[in-house]
Amino acid sequence: MSYAYLFKYIIIGDTGVGKSCLLLQFTDKRFQPVHDLTIGVEFGARMITIDNKPIKLQIWDTAGQESFRSITRSYYRGAAGALLVYDITRRETFNHLASWLEDARQHANANMTIMLIGNKCDLAHRRAVSTEEGQQFAKEHGLIFMEASAKTAQNVEEAFINTAATIYKKIQDGVFDVSNESYGIKVGYGGIPGPAGGRDGSSSQAGGCCS
Amino acid sequence: MHETEQHDLSDDADYAASQHQESTSNLSCDSGQATDPTESEVVYSKENVAIHPSQYASERISGRLRIVKQGSSSFLSWIPYKAASNAADSLGRSLNSSVSDKDINLYTIKAVSLSDICSIRRHIPTLGWQYIIVVLSSGLAYPPLFFYNGGVREFLATLRHHVFIVRSADDTNVFLLNDFQDPLQKSLSSLELPGVIPVAKGASLHNSSDPGSSIVDSVRVNSVTSSGTSSVSGYRGRLKQKSHDPAHDLSIQVLEKFSLVTKFAREATSQIIREFQDTHELLYEKKQKNSAALPSVTISQPDVKPNGTQRKEDLVETPDMLEFDKPSLVWGKQRQPPLTHEEWETLVDSEGRVMDSKDLRKRIFYGGVEHNLRKEVWKFLLGFYEYDSTYAEREYLESMRKSEYETIKSQWKSISEVQAKRFTKFRERRGLIEKDVVRTDRSIPYYEGDDNLHVTALHDILLTYSFYNFDLGYCQGMSDLLSPILFVMRDESEAFWSFVALMERLGPNFNRDQNGMHSQLFALSKLVELLDHPLHNYFRQADCLNYFFCFRWILIQFKREFEYDKVMHLWEVLWTHYLSEHFHLYICVAVLKRHRMKIMGEQMDFDTLLKFINELSGEINLDAVLRDAEALCVCAGESGAACIPPGTPPSLPLDLDAGLYAQQDDEVL
Repeated sequence: MSYAYLFKYIIIGDTGVGKSCLLLQFTDKRFQPVHDLTIGVEFGARMITIDNKPIKLQIWDTAGQESFRSITRSYYRGAAGALLVYDITRRETFNHLASWLEDARQHANANMTIMLIGNKCDLAHRRAVSTEEGQQFAKEHGLIFMEASAKTAQNVEEAFINTAATIYKKIQDGVFDVSNESYGIKVGYGGIPGPAGGRDGSSSQAGGCCS
Repeated sequence: MHETEQHDLSDDADYAASQHQESTSNLSCDSGQATDPTESEVVYSKENVAIHPSQYASERISGRLRIVKQGSSSFLSWIPYKAASNAADSLGRSLNSSVSDKDINLYTIKAVSLSDICSIRRHIPTLGWQYIIVVLSSGLAYPPLFFYNGGVREFLATLRHHVFIVRSADDTNVFLLNDFQDPLQKSLSSLELPGVIPVAKGASLHNSSDPGSSIVDSVRVNSVTSSGTSSVSGYRGRLKQKSHDPAHDLSIQVLEKFSLVTKFAREATSQIIREFQDTHELLYEKKQKNSAALPSVTISQPDVKPNGTQRKEDLVETPDMLEFDKPSLVWGKQRQPPLTHEEWETLVDSEGRVMDSKDLRKRIFYGGVEHNLRKEVWKFLLGFYEYDSTYAEREYLESMRKSEYETIKSQWKSISEVQAKRFTKFRERRGLIEKDVVRTDRSIPYYEGDDNLHVTALHDILLTYSFYNFDLGYCQGMSDLLSPILFVMRDESEAFWSFVALMERLGPNFNRDQNGMHSQLFALSKLVELLDHPLHNYFRQADCLNYFFCFRWILIQFKREFEYDKVMHLWEVLWTHYLSEHFHLYICVAVLKRHRMKIMGEQMDFDTLLKFINELSGEINLDAVLRDAEALCVCAGESGAACIPPGTPPSLPLDLDAGLYAQQDDEVL
């Protein structure tokens, strides 16, 4: 399927916070409580549309356990967006955010867009981290923030799409040199950025049909 | 102190491989290109720094660790003493001569630029020897360097004068080199002031996209251009001294062929992909018609049985340079049906002893085991049972082990919630295990459904293991290894002890410093270099030499790559250790080779390659890959074995008494 841009995302956070479930909810629109734990990395992909342009998200879902950090660090290279996930019912997953953020800052490119997600917000009765705390942390570190639930799908679409919209805006603003793939963005055949955008609409639709 | 490397080398010339000499001497003698040839200063030199090639503490290769400054760059080297001085230890006792020249060559650390080093982990136990592990930016790690006379701190202190070092925030024993997170350092380095070591972006073992100076450049270029031919001639020279073993001659020829393949493969890659895609049958027929230009490996394997579909000569045929590029060819022996109960009865004597363990292992290597026989046979393969034990002895062992298991289990069972509240490490471990067992093979009927007792058994075994081996603890991936074992044993205690036996070998895969994984990935890179030089060159050029894309394969022995029953079959084949303890690495090479044309043809970068390898899960033909791997293992022969540093998992760990899992000043889960 043709796309105007391809964005590489990476999902990070402690083990068991629901990274794989968020991905599955986003790509397959289903919640699967029983799935195998992630070893190394798993991949997912989905097309979305922003500003009438087809954008492909290629999503890297990583293993959360501390022991694998040295391997996980090699996955940051060339990511345009990151979803940093914690579990609102487990305080320690929130406490570890700073160390994840440090990893991301150190190994990803400086312009990577980071979305902080407090997952499992359907489990309000077991909440251990307040929404305000999440907001506060995001504000302090310049992240976008949302609480979401992979189980009920609440805010899952929004989390992935808002991140993409932010990246897209950065492209429009000229923050990225899109010809340099180390920013985690590939330009596809379906659309031409910038002034040549006039032919986007028709060509991207045509591209979408034939593949 | 001024001293040239050239002088030093006169000492080592007896055994140093040609490439070592070449690249090291370039360091000081490449006056034609070097901008500042006069400066070559040894700024640090430490005697009696050793590598342990095997599990025996007595077997070690001692050498000299140095930092040499040349112009604005500094290099680390570790050159072993000549074989004679390694044959005796410090007390003058003569040591096992099995520390051969090839081991010594394998471990030599040529001048590696400090800018190519990513981190150094130090181990400074209060008891025992200090050592460091050097990790390169490419992700490759050298085997631990033991400081027999101490001095790790001094080494790091000296290093600090020559490269930018910061202590890792995560781990106080890890020192990060060239980590220019500090904005001041960043701007300093961008100014390229003298004395500031440039950061090599994406540096790999042999080359770097961002060489620091022309000296570094020339050293690297030379080592790149020479490595292709000199490594082959190095192996040849070594092999020629050996007696006439057909497999050796074969290896030589194969290596020569591989060196020819380099140029050919580059030019023809894209074309071949177009021409030969989806033409498996066609290729196979073509191969059948081709007569072997080189002697067949079957010479060294007199017991190869002809089978219905292939002539004997075709069973294992020396790969011709074209032939080996074809993804569809199958080289090794035809697989056999699994070992049956009736057959098993004939292999044990009246009291239950296995009469010929090698014969048994060979039988299983080529065919596997019938499922209902696994419960018994796996315990031998894993080392829980001795091959020469009797029925009675095994029964006794089982009963002893059963009560032992209950004892260890009761240790955590008796921890009250009040106590657990004050025992964070226990709670964390238990929490991790609880979360992971419900995410392990739940689609297999044996583990599916709510409140499944087998899932509880997985939990109890893993938590008990984390008490049995508290230093190692629990790490993700272990439940994947345990699941088929419990499925086969159907008994908690038997599964536990079988798992314990497996972890004796695979435990290092889960070491916190990842050293067990790094050493296997290192060995894999050496094997690919030997068995598929063009592919190796491609990985180097694409900055993929860390082989992280094979991480999951190795960590859990291909558990996620095949269906459940295939995994059990593969594991019993691996556990025979029949052709090699490291047969799994040959399987890695075999799978990579099957897809080499696609990988190189599509110019896959690290990300694409990782995704591609991940998506091979469920798509790999196990029988074909086992046969390929067998042929590769036979072809590689001793040269292959020499690629794998002794002590690399799943070999038994280096020194069991040294407390391999002991984590100094670490937070262990």
